[in-house]
Amino acid sequence: MNNLESLQFFIPELFLTAGLLVTIIVELLLKKEQKVFTAYLAATVLLITIFFLIRQYAIEPAALFGGMVVIDPMAVFFKILTAVSTLIIVFFSIPSFRVKAEYYVLLLATTLGMMLMAQVNDLLMIILAMELVGLVSYVLAGYRRSDPKSGEASLKYILFGAASTGIMAFGFSYIYGLTGQTNLFEIQQALQSTQHNPVILFVAFVLIIAGLGYKIAMVPFHFWLPDVYEGAPTPVTAFFSVGPKAAGMAVLIRFIISIVAGVSADGQTFTANAPIHAQELLAVLAVLTMTLGNLSALQQKNIKRMMAYSSIAHAGYMLMALAVFTSQSVEAVMFYLVVYMFMNFGAFWVIHRMTPHLGSEEITAYTGLGYRAPLVAVAMGVFMFSLTGLPPLAGFIGKFYLFAAVIKAEWYILAVLGVLNSVVSLYYYAYVTKVMFLNRGDDESAVSISSYDTALLLVFLIPTLVLGVYWVPVISWATQSLHFFLG
Amino acid sequence: MITQALIIWLLPLLAFTIQIFVGKRLPRKGDWVSVSAIGISFMLSIMLMIQMFMAYDPEFAVTAAMPWIETGNFAIPLGIRLDNLAIIMLMVVTTVSFLVHVYSMGYMAGDQYYNRFFAYLSLFSFSMLGLVLWDNLFGIYMMWELVGICSYLLIGFYFTKDSAANAGKKAFITNRIGDFGFLIGLLIVFTTIGSFNFSAIHEGVSSGLLSGGLLTAAGVLLFAGAVGKSAQFPLHVWLPDAMEGPTPVSALIHAATMVAAGVYLMARLSFMLSFDAMLVVAYIGGFTAIFAATIAITQNDIKRVLAYSTVSQLGYMIMALGVGSYMAGFFHLVTHAMFKAGLFLGSGSVIHAMHHSMHKLHLHEDPNDLRLMGGFKSKMPVTYATFLIFTLALSGIPFFSGFLSKDAILGGTLAFAMSQHNPIHFLLPVFGFTAAMITAFYMFRLVIRTFYGKPVRPEIYEHIHESPKQMTVPLMVLAALSIFIVYTLPSFNPTGAAGGWFDHLIQHPHSAVSAQLGHDVLHIDHETEHLAHISGIIISILVAGLGILLAFFIYYWKKADHTRIAQSIRPLYLLSFNKYYFDEIYQATFVRGLLAWNDLLNWFDAKIIDGIVNLSATVTRVFSAVSGLFDLHIVDGLVNGLANVTSLFGNGLRKIQTGQVQNYILGALLGTVLIIIISLI
Amino acid sequence: MEINEMLFLAIALTTVLSALIVALSKKIIYSAFALLLTLIGFAGLFIYLSADFLSMAQIMIYVGGILILILFGVLMTQRIYDPSQITAHNSIWVSLAGGIAMAAITGAVVWLNPWGKTLAKDFEYSTSRIGSELLTKYLLPFEVISVLLLAVLIGAVYLGRSREVHK
Repeated sequence: MNNLESLQFFIPELFLTAGLLVTIIVELLLKKEQKVFTAYLAATVLLITIFFLIRQYAIEPAALFGGMVVIDPMAVFFKILTAVSTLIIVFFSIPSFRVKAEYYVLLLATTLGMMLMAQVNDLLMIILAMELVGLVSYVLAGYRRSDPKSGEASLKYILFGAASTGIMAFGFSYIYGLTGQTNLFEIQQALQSTQHNPVILFVAFVLIIAGLGYKIAMVPFHFWLPDVYEGAPTPVTAFFSVGPKAAGMAVLIRFIISIVAGVSADGQTFTANAPIHAQELLAVLAVLTMTLGNLSALQQKNIKRMMAYSSIAHAGYMLMALAVFTSQSVEAVMFYLVVYMFMNFGAFWVIHRMTPHLGSEEITAYTGLGYRAPLVAVAMGVFMFSLTGLPPLAGFIGKFYLFAAVIKAEWYILAVLGVLNSVVSLYYYAYVTKVMFLNRGDDESAVSISSYDTALLLVFLIPTLVLGVYWVPVISWATQSLHFFLG
Repeated sequence: MITQALIIWLLPLLAFTIQIFVGKRLPRKGDWVSVSAIGISFMLSIMLMIQMFMAYDPEFAVTAAMPWIETGNFAIPLGIRLDNLAIIMLMVVTTVSFLVHVYSMGYMAGDQYYNRFFAYLSLFSFSMLGLVLWDNLFGIYMMWELVGICSYLLIGFYFTKDSAANAGKKAFITNRIGDFGFLIGLLIVFTTIGSFNFSAIHEGVSSGLLSGGLLTAAGVLLFAGAVGKSAQFPLHVWLPDAMEGPTPVSALIHAATMVAAGVYLMARLSFMLSFDAMLVVAYIGGFTAIFAATIAITQNDIKRVLAYSTVSQLGYMIMALGVGSYMAGFFHLVTHAMFKAGLFLGSGSVIHAMHHSMHKLHLHEDPNDLRLMGGFKSKMPVTYATFLIFTLALSGIPFFSGFLSKDAILGGTLAFAMSQHNPIHFLLPVFGFTAAMITAFYMFRLVIRTFYGKPVRPEIYEHIHESPKQMTVPLMVLAALSIFIVYTLPSFNPTGAAGGWFDHLIQHPHSAVSAQLGHDVLHIDHETEHLAHISGIIISILVAGLGILLAFFIYYWKKADHTRIAQSIRPLYLLSFNKYYFDEIYQATFVRGLLAWNDLLNWFDAKIIDGIVNLSATVTRVFSAVSGLFDLHIVDGLVNGLANVTSLFGNGLRKIQTGQVQNYILGALLGTVLIIIISLI
Repeated sequence: MEINEMLFLAIALTTVLSALIVALSKKIIYSAFALLLTLIGFAGLFIYLSADFLSMAQIMIYVGGILILILFGVLMTQRIYDPSQITAHNSIWVSLAGGIAMAAITGAVVWLNPWGKTLAKDFEYSTSRIGSELLTKYLLPFEVISVLLLAVLIGAVYLGRSREVHK
């Protein structure tokens, strides 16, 4: 479809860009004490964008802008997911970033980047969309001007990100050199029509995985993550842990189904396209990722760092399912991302709102919280148990789908390692609950939280509980979104 | 009936919700909410029981299901199955739970978190009842984990005691290790058969959807869940520590209900166990029975003796299910639930009295310690009398319930061994009979040292009083339920359950594995069974008598000095006293292993990174001297290049540990290179 | 060897050597000037790839713009060289091994594949083609870049200002 025709299918993105510009202008007109208005404006823009996005489900899958991007239900799913996650982050950030209007502009810009990542179909666009997300993320990580840790996080992120993107771009250049194409479908055609040296393809694949793996925190490209998560302001950390990760997953999924393995006729399994052991490689990396994440989380004393390693582990679980290349596994990953969004945001929200009261991000500071702020502590306990994957909480259902997909594909050892990992993870999650409920601290004064805090807490808590016992809408949403544009 | 069952199940949940939100503000801190909820559940269970007796049909079953989760490839109906097994189990759970609720009103009175305790009890009852009622594995797994969380909260209830908090965590994590197997087994069943429903699994296994090694693996993995929950070897370590919780909790969870959940699960799943899986189950159970019994001999904490005894008795039940004695295993679960709950509540009564006495005397010793007791018979007559009845039942003395069930198990193992060609399987009955003797011995050791003889500490003895009515009445009820006749009606035969209602109503379900294979998984002919039963009765009475005699010989008549005996077999004594050092072994392997990993990481940070830095400096100097081409200048420049670039725009280097990010990037690069090299080789 | 190839070798060598100096030089000002050579070398290599426009853009933007900016930065930064400020660094040997292995891998890949069916086309000016493709085929990336630049601008302004406030 040519550029002009494509515009009608690009309404959400266009609206978001317009909203971004309007926000910048409005910000200039506001007095300092009124600037919180930009947050509400950004939220409104996102809300309307989500509304436009939902309407996109009616559109037949097609390639837009001469194949630069595609529109299909899978893309719409990830676009909605990332837009919703940003919307939540806007409300998440309001208490701490009241007068920083640029912050919300930057959030909108990343959202545009993530939405593009959900639908990219061209090597050039992959780099561009990822850079849009990446560059803005670097700024966001360094947003706490007074905190040197924040600046340090930003700098580490930028250097690591630049290196990874460089490696990935180099991998892309191999692909381009082999096929002469940048469009994913044309690359797929070219790979099928001529025989290429598998070693070169494999090297290219690994180099590309390095770039994508950095975005989703895959071992050994995860090094940046703990420092950045710890150093960045908590709302930004929460933002990094879901939106960009989901977008990275989207690119990885699209890359895999377009180039590495095509969808088979029945749409259930993916047939090998390039003669490389991509599945085995991903499986090994998945096991490494979750094992390293979980084992390292065990020794953390800072709760944000613990959550950082936990997020590495969770990336590992999702990769594990991706490695088996079935539509069931993709569905499981999509479902898991939704669940993960609620429970992870919830945990970060508690950390974010409790840190000023507790005066520290150390886990021991949470001692006896169950007696000082019962609702918050119970919610935190629920999030922790959900992250471990205990029924009847949402996290269990998510993990259940992941493991079921792996076992269905008869990768038993992978599944066993995955479940073993989730057992290990119990140890550090349960430790948080233990100090909150089974220990008493010196300070026993009640911690009061505002009604805004409580309301947002419930926004995270209720889905985590409800999706544990009734998850049909979400899983059907994922299933329906499992249609790809296949060229 | 289904409505009744739903009410039975959901009332405790309602009570929990009320307690959590408004419990503190209610009169009497709302204990009556929980007690009346479980009381009504108890009444309704009796009504269900009556309906079951009216039908008096082994095949009796009512099921109901409504759609819950339905997506393309995934359907879990919200289903309940009420058959004889479930109804009897409901009865057991509600009876014990109700009595424990009543008892707790006395025992926990005045506790700071009184209402919270009752809230947890209600939540526990809810999850346990749900576990019994669900007709599918998925629902059971959910309840299974909820039960685990409740026990975590209840064991850790005395959170001011560090040991209690740690015991709670230990129980939780040990259970999760077993659940790891359960979850994988569940996934295997689901992915091969496509359903969690018991009847669907039965059909699936019969038609061969799940067969061969995978079937055995599924059976063993699901059994792993039961190993955790029912504290079987090697995951038994949590149960004795769990005694740190309040005594009513020990009675409810760690005697009668939660630990029985594993047995109940295996009973539910016995239709899908292949022969190999059965052998695993039987041997784990048999070994646990004797293993735990030998530990119980030397413990001095009254509750710990009972805890190891529980582990041992659970081993019996598991062994029975492994050798195909379905009815015997479940029967023992029921009888054991009654008398072991009684034993725990009885010990609670003793501890309660000790506690008050010591409180008056301002003594700070362990009220659980056997060595401080003695001669309480006259001071606490009701407790004594009921305790003796429970002990007789546990030891397997005729006319008490324990004899019927234990004898059925022992007969079953004997029959199993006789029907197999491999004589090694006689190990199972040997385990069983030996454990029976040891059981009789250590139980009478407990009774004699607590209630008989002269008081060891007269000053404590002086202040011992019988416990209040809330505590003694439950004991009397449980004692009544430990008499043989409760289970043998309409027959009055004290030597066997055959002909009784229990034997009639609980019959082995048709094995799906047999259906799949086309022949019986386990064939035991009638004569063997009869012979085994008769010899079982004789031997078990003999060994139990021997055990009791030995206990009186040593502890009552003092014909032999027990300390001297302990001295003469000191290595063995220590082995038993220290519980075969299992905690230490686990500490040394798993816990130390994790710590070692931590140390490794720290060491890596401290040594390797530093070491590399230092080494490189040294090597660099040598290198520069030798080659002259690369002077120190260039080498340092290479290393510092990135740092310099980053400093360009005025960021102070001190604020930023750029060195690390260099390491990170190098790490990522090396990772990429390694992946490629390893994959290509 | 034709003059063509000799020139290529010369350019390539200059590029690599100056890049080495960028990385290895201890004095930041040397690095900055060496970077100038590297970037010009790249421009030369682009000409060999028949990318005339790209080559000129490289000189104009990188040499004329970014490098000047870097030089300003260098000149205005105090304490450019102070070894005590380096807190940690990589082992030279590990880095070297990694670099060599990476070079070997990329080298092997180049070696393994018959990449260059040499473009036997006549040289044609690419400027007009780039111009029209940017507004047709590559319109979306072009627009995305404009949003990207806007966002980065805002971010840079924020971070720059924040440091002022901080001081």
